[in-house]
Amino acid sequence: MEKGNEKYNKVLNLLRKSTPLLNSTGDIENEVLIRIKKINQSGVNLSEVIDFLFGWVYIGWVRRSLIAAAMALVVIFVYQQGVILKRIEVLSRQTIIINNGNAASSSDEIDKFLTQFRNSGHRFPSMNITISESQMKELQESFKEMQIKYKDLENIIEGDPDLKKLIEKKLIENNRTKINL
Amino acid sequence: MKRKSIKVILSLILVFVVSCDEPETVVTNYVHPDGSVTRKIEIKNGKNNFKKSDFQVPLDSTWIVKDSIEINQKGDTTWIKRAVKQFKNVDEINIAYKNDSGANKSYSRNAGFRKRFKWFNSEYRFSERIEKLSAFGYPVKDYLNNEELLFFYSPESLKQEKENGPDSLKYRALSDSVKNKTDKWTIRNFISEWTGEFSRLTEGKAGTDISRESLKAREAELEKIIAENDKKFDSLWANGVILKKFIGETNALRYKSEADSAMKLAENIIINNFKDYSLRIVMPGKLIGTNGFIDSSNTLLWPVKSDYFLNEPYEMWAESKTTNSWAWVVSGLFLAFVLTGVIVRIIKKD
Repeated sequence: MEKGNEKYNKVLNLLRKSTPLLNSTGDIENEVLIRIKKINQSGVNLSEVIDFLFGWVYIGWVRRSLIAAAMALVVIFVYQQGVILKRIEVLSRQTIIINNGNAASSSDEIDKFLTQFRNSGHRFPSMNITISESQMKELQESFKEMQIKYKDLENIIEGDPDLKKLIEKKLIENNRTKINL
Repeated sequence: MKRKSIKVILSLILVFVVSCDEPETVVTNYVHPDGSVTRKIEIKNGKNNFKKSDFQVPLDSTWIVKDSIEINQKGDTTWIKRAVKQFKNVDEINIAYKNDSGANKSYSRNAGFRKRFKWFNSEYRFSERIEKLSAFGYPVKDYLNNEELLFFYSPESLKQEKENGPDSLKYRALSDSVKNKTDKWTIRNFISEWTGEFSRLTEGKAGTDISRESLKAREAELEKIIAENDKKFDSLWANGVILKKFIGETNALRYKSEADSAMKLAENIIINNFKDYSLRIVMPGKLIGTNGFIDSSNTLLWPVKSDYFLNEPYEMWAESKTTNSWAWVVSGLFLAFVLTGVIVRIIKKD
């Protein structure tokens, strides 16, 4: 047992005395320094991100292709916008606007008018009105009746100069009030 | 068959043009970016009597129709039929034109749509085209200058507005000039149509003296003969006097029936029964080109009259563009990426 212990101690001493043979101590030093730096640095390395994103700038053909594509995009954009602006300019010179086109009273214009009216603040609830033929006839008749009464009224006013003067005076006063408002 | 003098023909054309009995129709095409079209038709009539055979454009039971009436300040009532239908594409409109049983069923009409993707923008073109009626006539631009052409193609409301506006004298003179020139154009078309049809009917039978080329070269001569005998045209034509003067006695006797047939065909083309209407187009996005007019509601408008497609196809077209926002964003990001890369390289090089 003692012999065994002696042998073990001898081997241990031999190992302790034999130092390792180091050929590249500089590499180990660098590696240690890098590892120490890495421990000190926290988060993502910006230069690595930039290298990852823009690594293509170091590859000649990729760099040239992407620059060419970007320039082509700019040229296409300038050309297209130029053509469109020119066409709009020609259009504004050639097209004639009709003030009282025969289609002006279509339902779309009424819709447009109603939209504008609503947008202008004069709000009213949108609704559909269904009128029967008899109701429409009634409306027509009352309209005609109103026209007849209006004519009668005109005749009465024309026949009475005092009344005419009074109404004219009232109308002028009314207009003034409107202007003041 | 009773013959009509040229002036009578012209008068008849005018009567057809100003006829008030036919319903006033406005067709509006709302063109969508996917090529589908919402088509609205508004037919106004002085009587509550809408016949399918009177409709200028195809309208059947598949449309959503609403009837209403309008009363003006004078108390006159107008009956209005409003119809709307969604077409998946222009092919469906073309099928409707093909199967039309209305007043203008015999006229070849078609619609076209084209969409072009141009990265930053998408461009759209919508058109409605009516094929020409005559194979032998002359285009109206041979008779009218640019200003007269613009007036000729203008909607009636615009013509009236100009004739009664501040430059009324100028526009009334222009209107008279257009009328005189288009009268001459109609007569020349009639003659050209007759010579064309006559030479076609006598092709292979007659000698070179009445070939298409020789007759066409002598159209002015025939025009002069007709002008000299305008008042007695009916009787002189029936007796073959005009024909004898123009193609010689032997040919006139030999080809009288062909000459009459050619006259009938020419009459059918010049005095056609096309019912006028107005066409409107609403394009998607911003308008960049058209050959139409803009009405009070900012909508493109074209009058559709048979004079416009007598000798050349009448195409009503509009072009517009929409902006592809996503393409602008992608392009902007790409440009920024490339530019940054170039800057990074310059910095690292230094």
